[in-house]
Amino acid sequence: MPFLHFENVDYSYPSGEGDYIRALIGVDLEVERGEFVALVGCNGSGKSTFARLSDGLLLPDGGKVTVDGMSTADKGSLYDIRRKIGVVFQNPDNQNVTTIVEDDVAFGPENLGLPPAEIRERVDWALNAVGMSEYAGSNPARLSGGQKQRVAIAGVLALKPELMILDEATGMLDPEGRREVLDVVTRLNRETGMAVIMITHFMEEAAAADRIVILRHGKTVADGGRELFMTPEVFTDAGLDLPVTVRIAGKLAAAGVDIGTPLSADEFAAAVAALKRGGKP
Amino acid sequence: MISVQKLSYVYSPKTPFSKQALFDMELTIENGDFFGIIGSTGAGKSTLVSHFNALTRIQKNSGTIFVDDMDLSAKKLDLKKLRAKVGMVFQYPEYQLFDDTVVKDVMFGPRNLGLPPDEQKARAKEAIELVGLDYDAIAERSPFELSGGQKRRVALAGVIAMRPEILVLDEPTAGIDPVGKRDIMRLVQDIKKVCPTVVMISHNMDEIATYCNKIAVLDHGRVKGVFTPRELFGSRELIEQCGVELPLVTELAVKLNEAGVAVDGSIIDEDELVSAILGAVENA
Repeated sequence: MPFLHFENVDYSYPSGEGDYIRALIGVDLEVERGEFVALVGCNGSGKSTFARLSDGLLLPDGGKVTVDGMSTADKGSLYDIRRKIGVVFQNPDNQNVTTIVEDDVAFGPENLGLPPAEIRERVDWALNAVGMSEYAGSNPARLSGGQKQRVAIAGVLALKPELMILDEATGMLDPEGRREVLDVVTRLNRETGMAVIMITHFMEEAAAADRIVILRHGKTVADGGRELFMTPEVFTDAGLDLPVTVRIAGKLAAAGVDIGTPLSADEFAAAVAALKRGGKP
Repeated sequence: MISVQKLSYVYSPKTPFSKQALFDMELTIENGDFFGIIGSTGAGKSTLVSHFNALTRIQKNSGTIFVDDMDLSAKKLDLKKLRAKVGMVFQYPEYQLFDDTVVKDVMFGPRNLGLPPDEQKARAKEAIELVGLDYDAIAERSPFELSGGQKRRVALAGVIAMRPEILVLDEPTAGIDPVGKRDIMRLVQDIKKVCPTVVMISHNMDEIATYCNKIAVLDHGRVKGVFTPRELFGSRELIEQCGVELPLVTELAVKLNEAGVAVDGSIIDEDELVSAILGAVENA
């Protein structure tokens, strides 16, 4: 049984004047425990709707969403579902709720009714994991956007979810903050087996995932590993950029120089260096 | 022209929470500049630019800013004049849309300038078209029904309608997909033809390197220096000193050199790097 299962899911929302926008159309998707999935697509492709359907913030118009076998349409299961799935949204200003960072992070565990010692431990661990320990006593309102977002991520981490969905959660961060968050979630994924769905526009982040799912106009149009980058059209047709390494490799290929499909700067440099040495070991 | 002179700023002064955000900042933005401001979170970027239209007032004995001949530390400051001159687009400006139609939202600025209704509307139309939206199709719609990208354009139009001489953009492409990012930057270039001075805060080094002629690096409330893109991104020393990220293309050029492929390490442009690699490979 897949951990998160979208079965033929439809969702529409009103766009004024009696019209509806079909945000998701017949989406089938299975995410297993421990997976690291990047969900990519341009604005309006249905990515955020996907996140909101995953933990029952929205309910499908058609089809079914289940988490660990429990349907989000079953009201009695929502409490359990939301203990299993944590969602971090884009704008941290809508997510910080208290005036002290560590209280904010403790908010979730307190609501779970955990013993104080356990709450303390989780809060310290979560703040440390996002590199915000030194701000434990600060007021979230006085932090920068990136720092607020790391606090929001810590708040979700403290619930120890089995799946964390980051809905463009790095969109407001500076490059360093973005890398920290990516490092943190990658590490948590590897070390604790927490599954991650990273909804992102940053193709360099997507390239770091084990699996990439592309959404376009509410439908999944591609689902696979790094081999997807060998067919750049699936990205460009969906209004997405390619990682810069893939783009340059394409231009080199057009000029008759083949370096394959490097996904990181290191792979790229190694491929060019190998070529320069004439393929000699 | 904006001239920042020994500017300091303290949040919540004389309280236990007091925190100094800016320290003796000095910089000059000339007319016609596409001036980039970079630095990690908490460097003081937004605090600095929020002074440019006196949204944040200069504190006592904390230096000053001149916008042309206007001294922003003066007690009697003509805010209306200043805000007509300096247009400010904040992060995620679409959250500031409020009126029930697009045209009314965009007219808000011109109305506050005290312009006659005809002129307000003419300005709004001009601005909406300048941001690449179809005036007839969109003017009477609610801004809240629009897509994210359209909303951001409407928000930009609201500032453009004031016909500022200096446009300040705080992360104009944050949260927008890659194609949308390029559209917005193209738009900014169009706007620059009528509003010749642009100041842009960005974390996106590719945008900074591509569009800006000068870049100020901020760090913990201080100006580390003002450089051209080539000076900054071509100097490993500066990059390390300033804790700056490289544009993606420049990072590749650096990695290539480390791997023994000699190319110019200050390359910013993708096609330039392709040519350099082809040259290096063929000369092997």
